[in-house]
Amino acid sequence: MNLPPTGSPGQQPVEPGHSEEHGQDLPGLLAKVARGDHAAFEAVYDQLAAQVYGVARKVLRDPAQSEEVAQEVMLDVWRSASRFDSSRGSAIAWVMTIAHRRAVDRVRSENASSAREQKLAVEQVSGEDVFELVDSALDRQRVRRCMGSLTTLQAESIKLAYYQGYTYPEVAGVLGVALGTVKTRIRDGLIRMRDCMGVT
Amino acid sequence: MSVQSHELHLLTGAYAVDALTGDELEEFEKHLQRCASCTEEVQGLQETAARLGMTTAIEPPSWMRQQVLTAAGRTRQLPPSAGRLLDRGTHRRAARLRRSLPKSVAAVAMAAAIVVLAVLQVNTRNQLEQTQQANGNVAAVLAGGHIETSSTTVGGSVTAVISPRNREAIITTADMPTPADAKVYQLWVISASGARSVGLLPGNGSGGVTSPVLASDLKSGDRLGITVEPAGGTRQPTTTPIVLLSANT
Repeated sequence: MNLPPTGSPGQQPVEPGHSEEHGQDLPGLLAKVARGDHAAFEAVYDQLAAQVYGVARKVLRDPAQSEEVAQEVMLDVWRSASRFDSSRGSAIAWVMTIAHRRAVDRVRSENASSAREQKLAVEQVSGEDVFELVDSALDRQRVRRCMGSLTTLQAESIKLAYYQGYTYPEVAGVLGVALGTVKTRIRDGLIRMRDCMGVT
Repeated sequence: MSVQSHELHLLTGAYAVDALTGDELEEFEKHLQRCASCTEEVQGLQETAARLGMTTAIEPPSWMRQQVLTAAGRTRQLPPSAGRLLDRGTHRRAARLRRSLPKSVAAVAMAAAIVVLAVLQVNTRNQLEQTQQANGNVAAVLAGGHIETSSTTVGGSVTAVISPRNREAIITTADMPTPADAKVYQLWVISASGARSVGLLPGNGSGGVTSPVLASDLKSGDRLGITVEPAGGTRQPTTTPIVLLSANT
């Protein structure tokens, strides 16, 4: 699997922004976990298990598979806590990146997918569905508001890629637009959301 | 900036939502190592993507917590640095733990019986009634039972005491290596119509022997199998059994 990218030498550290608002000092807890502190790991579990399980459920749908993936992710956090570097991003983004990749890896290994399945999914991502299971009302509002500021194509591309675990060529296939268009719409859309949400 | 690297730079978004695969993913990751502005952009977009993920939070089943914490207790942590998630200790550990089979079936059966009694005695303090009940079950199985034993493909051995009268079996293992990557051993009753899970095998106790596990409702022609599964186990076996025993009652 892929890890979050490493920063280049000489690069300015990026501020984690408001990312740690969900818990007390996740980076500090991860540093303790890296030293084998089980109590700290319990605290990390309690703070992040719902987010990790939630994204797995969102992408995979199947509860049993999501449980497996969520457990794998939490164990990854235990095992590789020493690799977390707060100068390269927030703790929550580090964990969510691992979680999303694990979920997506599972999807891709499972279905050498039929085009038919992909067509069905377009209906599934529209509307309120994305926000049905929400942790923090404030975050939900902010994400919803910012998602609302995107063009339809930007929003659909991002949702299909992130929540359905589609590759960008698959997204292009489902939406019936050119590869290059999807590539740029995902990037434009995410940049607009980043600026809208005040991340980094 | 060359045309090609400009093209690659446009992939930051797709990368941040894990929509790249294969060669393109590899190429982009290589590019990231020498493109500071791309790295910075990817970071910000990953932070953004994480917010999308956090809106889906949902409580996992409560049993998961203990499973994960227990698995963590058995999982070696990685040192800092080095790029990839890889447990380098795994192969060495497996090799070290791989031992020859116990000398005789009787020795294994004896070990199993001793573990049964030891486990039950530990419980006695708090759960006398339950223990007496369990003791009765175990005694009944042991009394009328016959023994099946086999080595596994990963090393060590499995012994089952099978009671035709009760249609039950008590299963213990000896000297099986701890599975790598926080995986677990899962025990199945396998019949012509499919497999049903008996449960996860406990970790090795003293002398490399696991606490006994009871399998019930056995039918003629059933077999007992053990597979290596992800932490927490699975609903159906996902790997080839490392051992199969006849559970013929």
